Amino acid sequence: MTAHAATHAGPGGRRAAALAGAPLLLGLLVLVFLWHIAVGAKPIPLGTVLAALTAPEPGNFDHVVIRDLRLPRAVYAVAVGASLSVAGALIQGVTRNPLAEPGLLGLMAGASVAVVLWVALQGPGGSAALPLVAALGALGGAALVWGLAGAAPGGVQPLSLILAGAAVTAFLGAIVTLAHLLDEQSFQSLRVWLNGTLSGRSWEVFLWGLPWFAGGLALAFVLARQVTALAMGEEVAAGLGVDVARLKALALAAVVALTAASVALAGPLGFVGLVIPHAARLFVGADYRLIVPVSAVIGAIYLLGVDILARVALAPLEIATGLVTALAGGPVFVWLVRARL
Amino acid sequence: MSAVWRVAALRGAIAFEAPVRPLLVLALLGAAIAATALASLLTGSYGLAWSEVAALLARPEAGSMGSTVVWEFRFPRLLAALLTGAMLALSGAILQGITRNPLADPSLVGVSQGAALAVVALIVLWPGAMPGLRPVAAFGGAMAVAALILSLSRGDAGGATLRFVLMGIGVAAFVSAVTGAMLTYGRLEAAQAALGWLAGSLHAAGWGEVRVLALVLLGLCPALVWAGRPISALRFGPEVATGLGLAVQPARVLLVLLSVALAAAAVSAVGPLGFVGLVAPHVAQRLARSGPGLHLVLSAATGALMVGLADLIGRAAFAPLQIPAGLVTALVGSPLFALLILRSQSRRTL
Repeated sequence: MTAHAATHAGPGGRRAAALAGAPLLLGLLVLVFLWHIAVGAKPIPLGTVLAALTAPEPGNFDHVVIRDLRLPRAVYAVAVGASLSVAGALIQGVTRNPLAEPGLLGLMAGASVAVVLWVALQGPGGSAALPLVAALGALGGAALVWGLAGAAPGGVQPLSLILAGAAVTAFLGAIVTLAHLLDEQSFQSLRVWLNGTLSGRSWEVFLWGLPWFAGGLALAFVLARQVTALAMGEEVAAGLGVDVARLKALALAAVVALTAASVALAGPLGFVGLVIPHAARLFVGADYRLIVPVSAVIGAIYLLGVDILARVALAPLEIATGLVTALAGGPVFVWLVRARL
Repeated sequence: MSAVWRVAALRGAIAFEAPVRPLLVLALLGAAIAATALASLLTGSYGLAWSEVAALLARPEAGSMGSTVVWEFRFPRLLAALLTGAMLALSGAILQGITRNPLADPSLVGVSQGAALAVVALIVLWPGAMPGLRPVAAFGGAMAVAALILSLSRGDAGGATLRFVLMGIGVAAFVSAVTGAMLTYGRLEAAQAALGWLAGSLHAAGWGEVRVLALVLLGLCPALVWAGRPISALRFGPEVATGLGLAVQPARVLLVLLSVALAAAAVSAVGPLGFVGLVAPHVAQRLARSGPGLHLVLSAATGALMVGLADLIGRAAFAPLQIPAGLVTALVGSPLFALLILRSQSRRTL
């Protein structure tokens, strides 16, 4: 992360540039959002999309499709993309590890296991408790990974964290498969979800996740300033008056909330949290007060774009969105390892 | 770890000490494999007493139900399990030897995923292809991904092993996603067949698979005998190995080819069985320290025992439901992997 501090060229200049870029980014977000809704099994012209969103007619079939099917999916993509990106930015800042990401560090695997076991016990069909279950699972996964990495020689450092994440993810993944084999019924309903998908989601389910998204994002925005100090080193942060232990605990809470709600709603979407914060840093430098909001917007745009690709690439078939994020994220991870290690 | 090896190697070279303990351990492993084999032959929904099994193995009766169960289902399956276990363990031992990386494993560094992608592509894109093409495709896929990872992880020597593991994780994620997309694209029945294979299950293993595995292993035996010497030289690092008169680069390439061929053959027969190649060489080394040649033999025996046991547990634990052996090896192997991370002696080997 020291490289980021070096690129930190005058906070004032960065800030001005970010303010100038903000309308551009938000405009892009709106455009991609509308495009996401327009694309599909039946392409709908943008004019109809706008009309459906501003002045819906109850009898118009296209309007019904847009408001009941496509709009929820686009909103999911925005919420999940923003949440995972912000979670990734926070975890990278707090661990000072450019390779950190909720998926690589076992949080997603933990949340997945918890959700699968919960569904196996409760039967298919979700409930509002799902994000809470996922949060407990994510916390458990994170505890396992950090405990393992901390006990390894050299302590918590980028490599031991990633290896511990790989070990924990492999183990939890095997448990998920085992649970599936033992309970075929819930397997059918969860198979698509486990690859990470945004399809077939309802407003009701979105409302379950909404408090978690909102709380996690709000906490991230509040913490951003202190995370900037922490990214310069724990001693520096402590010298600047940051309570490091408290900050880490709060940041972990925000990451867990954001990851859990995303996994509960859309399944494990890998590498989103890895890729986006690095893209955001390219534009705004090392200040987390800018990285966090810019990551949120770019993450939303990215996931909308990925989901468009997932739907049109092999149309009429649909690729699981999580596969596309891995296809795009794997090479970025490889590039990061080559550039940073 | 390498320091201990150095001492052991020196002691062996000077004192010509007979490797008593390794041979004893080998005999014990053989006994354990025999016991596992017997238990596997006896376990199953069709009840057979061990005297019946022994009689049937000695003299098969054409047409009897018991004979069919033993000779067509349980025996080839057992042999396939032992062979794949031995081959994966050998592959891992060689890979760990040449990369001097205790965490190298055919599945962890993407070789299994490459083979899986090639086989799934074959099943999905060309459903009419002969099953005999699968090992060829698996070998090609494994080789391509291994080459990709090795070339990507080249660079400054210090972080080379570390990069190797991280590159494996990144490339494996990408390749697995392509495999997943391929499954989405494929027709349902082809995807189902591919999914069954991907779980790493031995339930479909018959004499055909056993024949291929045995042929590959026998064919590679001379190479394995040769491998002991270059591996022991490479343990000291490339500079020392050059000093010992080894052509390092060609030896490395040949050893990687050998390792990939072993893993690819095993994976193409039964699907990816995770963590066997990683864990078996370490277990073998804990049981008895020995020279590289004997270490390969011990690793192979340990791997055979692991997969034999994994398949037995998978069949018996939730009977009549069968748990794929690959799942059992992952459940047992990943905690052992965690243990290896904890025990790695220094940050450098990590």
